[in-house]
Amino acid sequence: MAAPSRCTAHIATALRSNATPRIAVRTFASTAPSAASRTRLRQAQQTIEARRQFSNTSYRQALNTIDQIKARNKGGPFNITAALLFVTTAGGLWAYFTYEKERMARKRVAEQTKGVGKPKVGGPFELVDQDGKVFSSNDMLGKYSLVYFGFTHCPDICPDELDKMALMYDKVREKCGNVLLPLMITCDPARDSPAVLKEYLAEFHPDFIGLTGNHEQIKDTCKAYRVYFSTPKDVAPGQDYLVDHSIYFYLMDPEGDFVEAIGRNFTADQAAKVIADHVKDWEKPLRKEARWE
Amino acid sequence: MAWLPWSSGSSDEGGVKKTAGGAFESPSRTNRKMCYAARDSFFECLDKNNILDSINTKSGREKAETFCSQFDKEFEKNCAHSWVEYFKKQRVVNYQKEQTIKRLESQGGEITAPQLPLPGQK
Repeated sequence: MAAPSRCTAHIATALRSNATPRIAVRTFASTAPSAASRTRLRQAQQTIEARRQFSNTSYRQALNTIDQIKARNKGGPFNITAALLFVTTAGGLWAYFTYEKERMARKRVAEQTKGVGKPKVGGPFELVDQDGKVFSSNDMLGKYSLVYFGFTHCPDICPDELDKMALMYDKVREKCGNVLLPLMITCDPARDSPAVLKEYLAEFHPDFIGLTGNHEQIKDTCKAYRVYFSTPKDVAPGQDYLVDHSIYFYLMDPEGDFVEAIGRNFTADQAAKVIADHVKDWEKPLRKEARWE
Repeated sequence: MAWLPWSSGSSDEGGVKKTAGGAFESPSRTNRKMCYAARDSFFECLDKNNILDSINTKSGREKAETFCSQFDKEFEKNCAHSWVEYFKKQRVVNYQKEQTIKRLESQGGEITAPQLPLPGQK
């Protein structure tokens, strides 16, 4: 191949910008060192230069030699941009799937008690609050409620738990607004009159609602909530006794369905997180907003 | 009520106000605090005299009466009687629980009480 084909010349042009003619000279000088070929070479150079004037593609000034191109492509398709993109995408996907997984787990827990044929926790009741006003299960609708069963003459566990409930309530309120109804239902209706409850609960949180009723009403409510309690039915006034009862917080959703039980091993922060997450999952904004003020 | 000697004087001997039956008239935060303080000093006395059980056994009751009767009276004065019994029994139960846990742990077993799962452990 004595004469440079158009193709070779074109490649040479693409790869080199400044010294194209010289390389071309050397290449062709070595392969065809005759005077005739040199003349042809000059013609080729002229052709290249002529072509360059008509070329409207810009030259890649940064990549001047084969070595530079090789260096650029040495790492294959991997470079810092690709790495960043990869890590960001992976991180984003991981965060998304972790969040979705947790959300689905919560949803499963929350919907366990919905529908037909599921064990029911909670149910209709009609009691009186600490001001002596009627409070029924319908008053719980539209908001999440945190239900605790206890009694005022409780030596150590209930006061601790109620203190924790006050913390939980404040934390949830801080995160989600006024979406939670803190209820304490007494298991000791004989001693816990509305007035007693009012005085007792005011020391824990001004928003706490204390519910009481007669023995039958309380028994039915406890039964609905699957709460075990052992209050003597007939007690003399002033009698001294303790009541055994279950010690869970019951989280009920705005439709009055049981969501989750929160045990003593939960700290206030953990419990508040569980509640706030459920509140955020709630997808029926109409009901929520109706009470969300 | 004559059969409950501590319930005779409601508040005349000091301490918290109590009903005739020996219960708190109002188990308010202040009253609870006083009761817990009285309990703690009584238990401290029991600890010093190496008494664990001050309620279930006759020997324990006698020992407590001999060494800590002063604190016991304060305890009764500041707490509902049912609370006093509850705390005394709880002291024994708590001790036994601790010992059981220690024994199991020394044998290499791990003990976790059945509890609701915490968030993130589901």
